[in-house]
Formats: sequence, structure tokens, C-alpha cells
Amino acid sequence: MIPRILVRLEVLLQHMEHSFPVLFGTKPPPSIVSLVASNSSVPISSNSVEPFSLKDLIGDGFLWAVPRNRRTIEKRLKRKFGHPDYVWKLIKPKTTLRTCNQCGHDYEVGLLCPHCYDKVRKETELIQEKIQKELGLDPVDKEVIVLYDGEKGEKPNEQWNGKRIVEMQRPRPMWFSKNLMQKTTQPAATTEEAKPNELG
Amino acid sequence: MNQAEVSKLMSQLRVSIPKKPRRLRNPDGPEGRLNKLRKTVSALVKHERIELNSARAHEARGYAERLISEAIRHGDCHKATMDMANFWMVEKQLVHKLFKVLAPRFVNCPVSYTRMYKAPRQYPGPVTEIRRAVLELRGNPYPPVKPDMTQNRNLIHNVLLDEAKKQYRYEKYAQIAAKLTAGESKAEAKSTESADGNQKEHTATVEEPVDTKEEK
Repeated sequence: MIPRILVRLEVLLQHMEHSFPVLFGTKPPPSIVSLVASNSSVPISSNSVEPFSLKDLIGDGFLWAVPRNRRTIEKRLKRKFGHPDYVWKLIKPKTTLRTCNQCGHDYEVGLLCPHCYDKVRKETELIQEKIQKELGLDPVDKEVIVLYDGEKGEKPNEQWNGKRIVEMQRPRPMWFSKNLMQKTTQPAATTEEAKPNELG
Repeated sequence: MNQAEVSKLMSQLRVSIPKKPRRLRNPDGPEGRLNKLRKTVSALVKHERIELNSARAHEARGYAERLISEAIRHGDCHKATMDMANFWMVEKQLVHKLFKVLAPRFVNCPVSYTRMYKAPRQYPGPVTEIRRAVLELRGNPYPPVKPDMTQNRNLIHNVLLDEAKKQYRYEKYAQIAAKLTAGESKAEAKSTESADGNQKEHTATVEEPVDTKEEK
């Protein structure tokens, strides 16, 4: 509010200044604006007003190039944060992480669980090493069965007929179920009727 | 209709093969690419489970499937198949394995002979990280890569089996109840009671076991 009044007052004073030469001849009296602005007792001579020149300011020096326009807010924001679809500079939350149902570690959707897979990989490498040691360079013509400590005597030798047994000299890991072997060792069912058991 | 069925002439694979072969980068060009794939397929047959670059695993998978499929279709007396096996198996003892172990193993296999998993990657890892994959033959002796979910009660076939079991039990109970009531009615008939009262008791006793099961 106050600045607007000040502007209007200034405009009014300028109008009055312009109207002086018309009223009192060609030479105007000292300007009222400068008198009001300076508010000093020293009288201002008409010779003191000189045209502004850059030379007075710079002297022997020189100027670097500087921005001539203000950057728009959009450009400034884009420089600061990037664009969400192209280059996003802030941290994005990752929504593809899940908790493994088996071990509770985090894994990425679509990939294997690192903890579970690490366990499996180590065991697999041990078994592979053992198998290669057993087989050597002979032609491989039999299925290989992996048995752990104390499992060979559990079933009669006919069960393993036509299969090559590789024994791991260590107890079976808890998580590696023995039931996986059932399919290859058990004879197929002879009954034709498919009825659920465990009644009562 | 003298034309042969095209689908019978070729091995039908259970995995999707990309239209164009992958240009796996190799300093020796296409020849080097094939050599690399030969090594990969041989390693797959030898070890039955390998971990390698995702692109090469996917490329080698198709060749391995095709090779096993041909071995099953033509057997080891077919010269072209044997030449192919000789080309793809870098170690020659694996040719025996292909025909004597893998072909019998997969002869009745209704699904693909190989499986491929995406291996876990380093977290957070570089953006340009090369993805790894686990490629394996089915029926291998190693611990399963993915946990066995067949015991999950919410699987559809387990739900259906449970329902079938339940229904079978209802039928059995109903039969037992019918037998019991028949015995009772005979006894009651002997003791000279009205037939109307008997019929009402019949229905009530048959329904009883069913109700009790539902409540459980």
C-alpha cells in the first residue's frame, strides 16, 4: 500500500517539474525531487550532473560474461531434482522387495532368494565335486544317486539297481529333504483305484 | 494329402526360442560363439546345474533341449543325431550320458527338460550389472533351487484333494448310518411298533453324522 502511494507522489512531482519551463521560461529551477531526496543543506549546482559511463566504474579492469536473464522456476527445479521419467536425482523407493517365506531374508521379486540360493549352491558344488571325482573320465551310462552318511544300509541293494551311488561323507543337511528320492526308488503303485487313505 | 506333417518333422520344444539367435559377443565371431555354446551345453549335461550369464544360459538352453529331444526321438543308431551329439559334447564320455541316461530319463517328460532361474544379484549393485542365471536339467540329484511348495494347503490341487477326502468320508458315514438304522428298524419291527415312527427316525439318524462333520 505504502509503496504505491510513494510512486504516485513521485509521478506527481515529475509532472510538476515538467510543467515549470512552460510556466516560467526555458530554464527550470532546481528539481524538487532531488531536493526532497537529498534533504541536505548543501545547494546542488547544475554542473554536478554528469552522464553515467562504465569507464568510471571499471577503470583498467574488464568484465566477465554473466547471466543476463533469470532461469525459469521449471528449469531450476528440473536442474535440482531431474525428471521422474528420465533422470530422477532423488532416491526412489524400491517396491520389488519381498521377504522370503522360508528364511525371512529379503529378496527381489522374480529372482531367487540370495540366502536360500547360497545354501543350495554350496551344497550343489560339494556334490558336483564329489560326483566328478567318482566318475572320472569313464563313460557315464548310469543315473547318479547321492547318499549321505548312514543312508546306504537303510534300503536293500536292489533298490539302487542300475544306479550309481555317490556317497557324501557327511550327515544329510536338515533342509535337504530325503523324500525327494522316493520317486526314483519306490516302485509304481499297482492299485488302479485312486482313493484317499488316512480315514477317520 | 501326400504332404508330411511339418510338426512331426521337427522336435517340438517346450521352451520358447527367440526368432533371431543372440549375437553373443565373441572375438572369434560366429565360430567363437558356437564354441562357447558347445562348452556351455557340455557343462550343462555334465554338471546338470550351472550358473552363468543370463543371455548365454538362455541361448544354450534351446540347443540343449533340441539335442535331448533329438536323442529321444532317433536314439543312438541314427547317424545324424550321433554326429550332432558328437559336435555338441566337448567331452566324449558325455555322449554316453546323453543317450543312456538323459534320453531314458526324459522319455515320458511332458514338460521342458531344463529349468532356468534368475540368480540373485548384488544389492544395490551397479546399473550395468550382467544378470546371472541358474540353468539345470530336471531330475538332477541336487537340492532343489526353489522350495518345495507341494505341501502348501492353499494350492488348488491340495484344496481339491481335501474336498474329495471330505466327500468320501461323508459317503462312508452315511453308509454306516444307513446300516445301523437298518439294523435298528429290523429290531424295532420285531418289537411290533408303528412303521411311521420308524421312517422318521431313519432320516434323522442318517443326517446326524453329516451334521457333526460339518460342525468340525
